[in-house]
Amino acid sequence: MPASWIFLIVVVLAAAGYVLARGRAMASAGGDQRRLHSLPSYYGTNAAMAAAVPALGLLAIWLIAQPMVSDLYVSSGLPEAIQADAGERSLAMADVRRVADGLDYAVSQGAMTREEAANLSVSANDIRERLGAVGIALGSDVDETTLELAQQYRNLTNTGNTIRTVLVLLVALASFGAAYMMTAKDFRARNTVERAVLILLIAAACVAILTTIGIVFSLIFNTLDFFSRYPAAEFFLGTTWQPSFSGRGGGSELGFLPLIWGTLYISIIALAVAVPLGLFSAIYLSEYASKPVRSVVKPLLEVLAGIPTIVYGLFALLTVGPLLLSAFGNDGVLQLGWMSGGTAAMTAGLVMGIMLIPFVSSLSDDIINSVPQAMRDGSYGLGATQSETIRQVILPAALPGIVGAILLAASRAIGETMIVVLGAGAAASLSLNPFEAMTTVTAKIVSQLTGDGEFNSPETLVAFALGMTLFVITLALNVLALWIVRRYREQYE
Amino acid sequence: MYDVPNSERTVTATDTKIAAKGVQVYYGDTHAIKDVDVQIADKTVTAFIGPSGCGKSTFLRCLNRMNDTIDICRVEGDIHIDGEDIYDKRVDPVQLRAKVGMVFQKPNPFPKSIYDNVAYGPRIHGMARNKAELDDIVESALRRAALWNEAKDRLQAPGTGLSGGQQQRLCIARAVATEPEILLMDEPCSALDPIATAQVEELIDELRQNYAVVIVTHSMQQAARVSQKTAFFHLGNLVEYDDTNKIFTNPTDKRTESYITGRIG
Repeated sequence: MPASWIFLIVVVLAAAGYVLARGRAMASAGGDQRRLHSLPSYYGTNAAMAAAVPALGLLAIWLIAQPMVSDLYVSSGLPEAIQADAGERSLAMADVRRVADGLDYAVSQGAMTREEAANLSVSANDIRERLGAVGIALGSDVDETTLELAQQYRNLTNTGNTIRTVLVLLVALASFGAAYMMTAKDFRARNTVERAVLILLIAAACVAILTTIGIVFSLIFNTLDFFSRYPAAEFFLGTTWQPSFSGRGGGSELGFLPLIWGTLYISIIALAVAVPLGLFSAIYLSEYASKPVRSVVKPLLEVLAGIPTIVYGLFALLTVGPLLLSAFGNDGVLQLGWMSGGTAAMTAGLVMGIMLIPFVSSLSDDIINSVPQAMRDGSYGLGATQSETIRQVILPAALPGIVGAILLAASRAIGETMIVVLGAGAAASLSLNPFEAMTTVTAKIVSQLTGDGEFNSPETLVAFALGMTLFVITLALNVLALWIVRRYREQYE
Repeated sequence: MYDVPNSERTVTATDTKIAAKGVQVYYGDTHAIKDVDVQIADKTVTAFIGPSGCGKSTFLRCLNRMNDTIDICRVEGDIHIDGEDIYDKRVDPVQLRAKVGMVFQKPNPFPKSIYDNVAYGPRIHGMARNKAELDDIVESALRRAALWNEAKDRLQAPGTGLSGGQQQRLCIARAVATEPEILLMDEPCSALDPIATAQVEELIDELRQNYAVVIVTHSMQQAARVSQKTAFFHLGNLVEYDDTNKIFTNPTDKRTESYITGRIG
């Protein structure tokens, strides 16, 4: 039985359990709700949760664990030589799984009978052709080991699925049965449900944390792989970024510094645009603007946040770049000759800054609004003007939140890709001139991963090292933000 | 009725500091203050009493134009301070508020150090020529607010770290540091415990030497203890205004009598 069916059955069971348990509770109280310990719906919820939560939890764990266990078990049948190398082993197992899935699919499509699929042999049947006929394309002919392991894999999966179905349904029934038997007028259903809800909430929080850890781990192994092929010192201290896809790693120089330089330079330009504009508009909106003005301007500002970054990229490429070029370029009106092309750190930085305005303004606006009116009254009561009050009382009080807003914007700026690709160019350079083309870490991650290089080459794996380093930098930034916020909180609240 | 020594009752100065005539206040459609006439004397503590929502705080906030910061609030009538119409177009409310200090119901120290809290007013009004002068102003304000001994060793500590009573005295110090002529106090003790209340009341009595003090209070005992003049507000009307002694022992109006004996309110 497929997992979706099991899921549906459990859900139906839970719904039925709700009605049954609620009825039983009411019956035990003689139909008088006041004699129950908890509201009737709590008894129903308790039974429904008992039916659904453990069973669905088991199902989820099974779905994750079963392929891993089968993989581990089946792969022990591979030749020793293949097992020794992690890369070849995973390739061979991918073949095995593909054949196994293909056979299952062929059976379900009616192209093969169940017996036929179970008794295939490499010499008698052309498995590749038969599977191709139902739309499963295999990369190479199926050899004997692969077929044998694929059959083993199919058997394991089939047995596993049967056990899974029985076990999950049994757990659901048993757990529901226990909850149903406990249901009586003095059963503390409310307390049980409240505790269960608490556990569910904690589990939800854990999923978010575990995902973060998972992301780190998914990067870490490839990063270590990269550093085993390319010296770490050259990566972190290298001042040249020159990957060569054709030279098979020989001629590549993968220096990190020009990329992080570009990232930081463009981010700083963006923040230099976004922080003053965003903060000033937040102050205007929260302190000066009348209600009607605010109700129009605030949503308009927030529209900026909804524009896809690729559109900002086009704006940078088609409008801002040429505009800057006409001012600072070789033939520009200022005759400065600082800029040689439309794509430059300045172009991307300016446009990114515009993109970040709503991040800064919207958050700062909320924070400034949350400064108690008593602070303003106190300041006005001493004969301070509005701008004195804002500068000396409101902004210091709102500072932790504003710093948080700015660092959030900084994280966005560092992670931004599309505007950089279109606005800043692709050349990695360690230049001080903001009118020169630069590139960022994220833009290079994209280009390294979408290139046609071999996956196992340092040129591709460097993307993971870049991602990991970027992750560490943004993490450090967030920790710094937390530290600043906490420091000022202690002082002010 | 209230045991108050009679020596406190004598009104020392009779110069009129604030003269209000025909004051009407509207909050949107609500008529909050109805035709109030009152003359408040200098170097005197005047108490505004009355049930919640009777308009005493609203009227107090008219005296330094704090109601200007509320969009829907509209004030009519004349309020003169030292013979000058404070609602005249030429009057700058910012300057007015430097002259008419205010202490609020809930202590509201700024998120700054104790020193910076007190120095806030003098700094924005440019009252000190150098750091030494500012130090003197801060010290004398804290002394007048009876906070100097507790705060002198921790002037750079945040004002929000003080206890509730200390915070309120800090707010009073902050108000007197700008050298106002009138001090408005909107239920300054309602968030304080009895000991802190006693300290603040003692302070109010001392402030009377230099300022006209107007205090809004819910506590009739407090009004009896600290004030020389008392005004009773009810439903937006100024019902009775007289010497505190007279109001609490021999009120003219039946409503005043009912209120101070606890029958309305």
